[in-house]
Amino acid sequence: MNFKKSMFKSKLLTLSLASLVIAASCGGDKPKEDETNNENVVDVDTAKTAVLNVGGQLFSIPSPIQTAMLIQKSGLAYNKEILNLSKNSDSYANDFSKALNLGIYGADLGYVSMYNQTQDAMSYLVAVKKLADKLGVSAAFDATTMKRIETNISNKDSMLVLVGVAYRASNAYLKTNQRTEISSLILTGGWIESMHFSLTAYKTKPSDEIKYRIAEQKQALESIIKLIASHNMPDATTLSAQLTDLLKIYEGIQFKYTFVAPVTDSVKKMTYINSTNEVNITPEQLEQIRTKVQEIRNNIINATA
Amino acid sequence: MKKLSLTLIALVFALSLTNKAKAQCDSIANFCAKHIISTFISDGQTYRALLLNSEETAEFHTTFFGETIYRIAACSGSSDGNLVFSIYDQDHNLLFSNRNYKNAPYWDFKVKNTLECTIEAQIDVTRNQGSGCAVILIGFKQK
Repeated sequence: MNFKKSMFKSKLLTLSLASLVIAASCGGDKPKEDETNNENVVDVDTAKTAVLNVGGQLFSIPSPIQTAMLIQKSGLAYNKEILNLSKNSDSYANDFSKALNLGIYGADLGYVSMYNQTQDAMSYLVAVKKLADKLGVSAAFDATTMKRIETNISNKDSMLVLVGVAYRASNAYLKTNQRTEISSLILTGGWIESMHFSLTAYKTKPSDEIKYRIAEQKQALESIIKLIASHNMPDATTLSAQLTDLLKIYEGIQFKYTFVAPVTDSVKKMTYINSTNEVNITPEQLEQIRTKVQEIRNNIINATA
Repeated sequence: MKKLSLTLIALVFALSLTNKAKAQCDSIANFCAKHIISTFISDGQTYRALLLNSEETAEFHTTFFGETIYRIAACSGSSDGNLVFSIYDQDHNLLFSNRNYKNAPYWDFKVKNTLECTIEAQIDVTRNQGSGCAVILIGFKQK
C-alpha cells in the first residue's frame, strides 16, 4: 500500500520553511495568534519528514502471515527445510543484511506458528530478538508483547495475533525514531520470504489459489522497489536491480477486472466486495519468478561475510 | 550573532514540533489499535499522515486479497469519528465510505476476488480542530 499526501506537498514545504524564518525573525515576543498559525503549518512539514518517510510516501507490504495461512489452508504439510536456519542469525555482519534477515525470520516465525511448531517457534523468536538487539532496535519489539509471545508460544491463534502486533509496534517505533531504512528492509525481507513460501508450495503442490496469490503481488513489488529506492542505501544496489528485473516479469501478467456493485450490511458493519478479477499467468512466467525470487533470497540469507 | 540565535531558536522550535507531531501520531495509533480486535491479525504496519486541514486528502494504495476479511480502522484526534475514509477500486468506482455510516471508526470488508484499491482519508470538516494526524490500521482474517 502506498500512503501518500496527494495535495499541497511542495507548497506546504515552502510555507513551512517560510514560517520558520518568520518565527525566527519575530524573536521571543511573538504574538500568541502567530505562534498558533505557524505551529499548524510547520507541524505538517516536520511531521512529514519524521513520520511519512522520504517523499511523503508510506508503503505497505502484504503480511507474510497471510501467505503462511494460505499455504496451510491449501493442505501442505509443515516443511522446516524451506526456512532460513535460525542459527544463521549469528552470521549476519552488517545492518543491511541483519535488517533483511530480521524480516525473513519474522515471516519464518509466522510460518512455524501457523503449524503450531512450538520448539521451532522458540528458535525463531530467539533469532528475531538477537538480530533486533544487534541492530540496536530491540526497543522496537515492545517487551510486554515479546513476553506475551513467549507465554503463548504453544497457542497458534494467539501467536499469529501477537506476531502481527509485535511487527506493527516495531514498524511504528522505527518510523517514529527515523530508522525507516531498517523498517523498509524488514518489510522487504518478509515479503521475499513469503514469496519463497508461495513458490515452494506451488512447486510441491500446484493450486490455482497459490498461483493467483503469486501473480497478485505486482503492486506490493512496486511498493518495495519505491521503498528501497527512497532511502538511497549503497548496499541496496544489487537488491534494487534484482527487484526491478522481477517487476519486468510481473509486467507481462494479464489481469481482467470487472466491477460488481458491493453490498453493505450496516448492522454487521460489513461490506461485501464482489468484483471479479481474472488472472492469466503462464507456467514460464511462474518459473521465471521462482528463479528470480530464489536468487534474491539466496543473496539475502547467505550474506554472512 | 543575532542571526545565529534566531536560526537556533527556529531549529529548536522545529524540533519541538517534530517531537510533538510524533507523539501525537503515536498516541492516535495506540488509540486506534483497539479497533483491530484479536480475531484479526495486524498486517504489521501503521499508516500515518499529518493533514493540514479538512481539504487535504491522504491517499493509500493497497491490494485486498481474495477470500479474506479485512478490518480497516481509521482515526484522528483522541476520539472516534474524526476521520472520513472512502475506498475506490482501480477504476475509481466507490466501494465504501464511512461518511454514510456516521464516520464509523472501523469497518469490515469481505473480499471475494483480489483487487487493487485506493483508500482516501480526510479529516471531517464538521469535527475538524485544524490539522491532525491521520492513522489507518489494517487487520485481516481468512474466510
